[in-house]
Amino acid sequence: MKLTYNWLKDFVEIKLSPQALADKLTMAGLEVKSLDEQNGDFVYEIEITSNRPDWLSVVGVAREVAAVTGKRFTGMPVSRFSRRTGAPAHRLTIRVENKKDCSLYTAKIIEGVKVGPSPDWLRQRLELIGCRSINNIVDITNYVLFETGEPLHAFDLDKIVSRSAGEPVCRLAITTRRAKENEEIITIDGIKRALNNDILIIAADTGSPAHRITGSPIAIAGVMGGKETEVTASTKNVLLEAAVFNPGLIRRGRQQLGLQTDSAYRFERGIGPEAAIPASWRAVELIRELSGGELKCARSVGAARLTRKAINLSIDRMQTLLGVKIDGTTAKRILEALGCKVAVRGRKSCSVVAAPGRLDIQSEVDLIEEVARVWGYEKIPVTIPTVKIQSMPNPQRCQISAAKTVLAGLGLDEAITYSLVSRELLDAFKISPELLVEVQNPLSSDQAVLRPTLIPSLAKAVAYNLAQKQPGVGFFEIGNAYSVDQDGCVQEQTIFALAVGGQRSWLTAQGAGRETLGLLHAKGIIQTLLTRLGVGQVEWVASENPQEYAIMRGKQRVGVLQNIPAKALAYLDVKHAGIVAAQLYLDALKGLIGLKKTFSDIPRYPAITRDISV
Amino acid sequence: MPGIDIEAIKVSIEAQAQAINSSAELESLRVQYLGRKGVLAQLTGAIPGMPVEERAVFGRQVNALKNRITELIEQKQKVLELQAGPQDYTHVDMGMPGLAQEIGRIHPLTQVIDEICGIFTAMGFSVVEGPEIETEFNNFTGLNIPLDHPSRDAFDTFYIKCAGIPVSRLAGSAGSPAHRLTGKLLLRSHTSPVQIRTMKAHKPPLAVVVPGRVYRPDAVDASHSFMFHQIEGFVVDTQIRFSDLKGALTHFAQGVFGKDIRMRFRPHFFPFTEPSVEVDVSCVMCQSVKVSKCQQRRCSVCGGKGWLEILGAGMIHPSVFKHVGYDPKKYSGFAFGMGVERIAMLKYGINDIRLFFENDRRFLEQF
Repeated sequence: MKLTYNWLKDFVEIKLSPQALADKLTMAGLEVKSLDEQNGDFVYEIEITSNRPDWLSVVGVAREVAAVTGKRFTGMPVSRFSRRTGAPAHRLTIRVENKKDCSLYTAKIIEGVKVGPSPDWLRQRLELIGCRSINNIVDITNYVLFETGEPLHAFDLDKIVSRSAGEPVCRLAITTRRAKENEEIITIDGIKRALNNDILIIAADTGSPAHRITGSPIAIAGVMGGKETEVTASTKNVLLEAAVFNPGLIRRGRQQLGLQTDSAYRFERGIGPEAAIPASWRAVELIRELSGGELKCARSVGAARLTRKAINLSIDRMQTLLGVKIDGTTAKRILEALGCKVAVRGRKSCSVVAAPGRLDIQSEVDLIEEVARVWGYEKIPVTIPTVKIQSMPNPQRCQISAAKTVLAGLGLDEAITYSLVSRELLDAFKISPELLVEVQNPLSSDQAVLRPTLIPSLAKAVAYNLAQKQPGVGFFEIGNAYSVDQDGCVQEQTIFALAVGGQRSWLTAQGAGRETLGLLHAKGIIQTLLTRLGVGQVEWVASENPQEYAIMRGKQRVGVLQNIPAKALAYLDVKHAGIVAAQLYLDALKGLIGLKKTFSDIPRYPAITRDISV
Repeated sequence: MPGIDIEAIKVSIEAQAQAINSSAELESLRVQYLGRKGVLAQLTGAIPGMPVEERAVFGRQVNALKNRITELIEQKQKVLELQAGPQDYTHVDMGMPGLAQEIGRIHPLTQVIDEICGIFTAMGFSVVEGPEIETEFNNFTGLNIPLDHPSRDAFDTFYIKCAGIPVSRLAGSAGSPAHRLTGKLLLRSHTSPVQIRTMKAHKPPLAVVVPGRVYRPDAVDASHSFMFHQIEGFVVDTQIRFSDLKGALTHFAQGVFGKDIRMRFRPHFFPFTEPSVEVDVSCVMCQSVKVSKCQQRRCSVCGGKGWLEILGAGMIHPSVFKHVGYDPKKYSGFAFGMGVERIAMLKYGINDIRLFFENDRRFLEQF
């Protein structure tokens, strides 16, 4: 969110330079991503965490500035204009279908406005924070949104209420209700949207038999207004809405419609009702000032205040949790600067009622965090924790580490390849197990499936390197393969895999030697690895596929060794080379691996070799 | 007559021995005189053909000659050994490349994970791992992340099709038996679920560090990957404090980046910790330069800020303790999480995360 230095100064005394203020805010938890000087003001771009919707407004940030700098927060300006509405020219009824969906709804009617361009100061402030100027009425609702955090909406009253020239409207009913299935609305962006029962709407019903829009949707509550009732250059009379809607409902509704707006963003994070009514009066004041118009009616239904339970803050608990002695007086000062009400109960505890709009403060730890961050995390000392050791042996990790050492020593490089692969890759290797573990929401077809074997991914890595003109490549990877077993259980299996391809060359004292890496090299590596791990000798059993061998330890199948078939090599674009790959299953090997060693006596005398002819 | 021969032989041998310069020549001499068909063998062979009264004298002379020859040869051998003349060695051209067995390498991410886990195991932590396919409870609900709240947006996840498939995990990770759980399954978006698993399977005190793969549906570019690695850590006991969190993480950062690194603990928000913090270290690229100069130069690593975010951390939220059955009034703890790729990129100056998974040898062999 963006806001400016001068705008903040409307609400709090600031003596710090803009940069110094940025640093202070960052260290209080409002991370300032950028600070730019523009048009004689300084624009802050702040990253606001999802638990602090109260910071989505200039007033909210100003209160924070006051708390961390110790300066006075001047609060919302108290408007001096008369709130008397004069003789009621309308009978405006507000109906809220379910107060759980809408806990507060206020509406005001202002007549005789002149819609036109906004004055420079207003336009500039909006533009500095990235909001386009439309007309004075719409701009005022946006201005108040960013200033107070309360989203407002202005309707063209005459488009809700159709009337013949000169005829005053008898009654107008505004309803906040769930949309019916198959109801529709055209929103201000010109798109027709289908609604359903999980979306909250504002509907209007004039009650007049002629020219009426019977209780039909005029806005998607808290998200976006309707095109028909939009404020335009010809608008003369305005209905101004300020309300509080259920966060979960607004979120579900806007997600279903695929929308996100500044209003919805704030409602779904939670707004306290205490902001709604003052924001509404602020808007009315600005409308009168900038576009003329007279307030003719003001109605409100629902709770203007949220009763909050008092939370007990134990000073001992705070000091123990933080590891620093912050006393009760300091805690009280900080919490009060943040707008909380604090009643001290002796030296050991306080009873705290959270500030209005601070829906994130629900328990003692939330209070402890507030005190700690305003007091300053940097002032909390650095201590070394006493760690009581609880032995949690991890034999698999030791086995894997031993295997990696051996494989690297044998000349293979460790690779890390993606666990998600494309179906195409598996097809090219003729791998189509009955049930693959599939991803419901992949970003691309490359991430559609969790790999049931590591061989294609490793072969791909070998192929890539061969294409980069590496003469010979050898990789190993120890990672997971994923499958679904016959009981329908998803399994993760640890696999030792390797792949070699190309030619290895080396120098001897007699000259250079070269050979193509093939099945026997892989066999040598695997046997050395298994011997080192204490598994002993394994058998290499031919299968019906001449290119593939099962690796058996007695009756137990512990792995597979294969020449990558031509079709797969072609898919990987490997020319003039072959790739050999193998997998070993750690589950099958686990019982066989013996890293424990026992000494056996060595003979006293060296061995003698005898040639015998038989 | 043989007597004259013997004296002449003696003289001739002394001269020959003098002239010898190599062990090959010495060996020829030895064979010539002491070999099976050598001079001494011939002389000895002549004894039976001689008059009886001359045999004893002649025999003694031959023996004396044999001893003298043997002595000369041994002496010369010693002299040659000490000399070790150049022609006794085959000349080697040291300009030729050395001959060595090519050995392979451990992947840089594994090296960084081992280094980081090493710092914590030296402090008494245990290394524990967990499954990559997780339940919604372990990935979200148990960690106090409500499924229906904007805070969930930061943890976008891959879901597994066939919702309702029971998940089973083979023993070997965190030691828990197979669970048969229904409910949605997903690919874990962080390693934090292992906090839930470990706390449910063990009683405190705990000090655990968890490395592993995690998945997020992020579009892949130079600094984002849909699959990456995280290391989670947490400590739970009766008197764990925020100051302990600062201490453990300071010790860790100094271990990875060096003792001169400066650190900053910035308030932040995570649903599973309160108070929460993001930890920054002074920019590794412009560390030797004052922060203001760094800003002027618009450092490519820290963008001029002078600080690099490396970790998220905080005191474990009481709600998390309640979900795992620990009494939040009795126990407290801290938890932290870091992205391994990010740390490796900062430590080694790597500029593209995709290099880790391409496995190009020209990249891997640099580490």
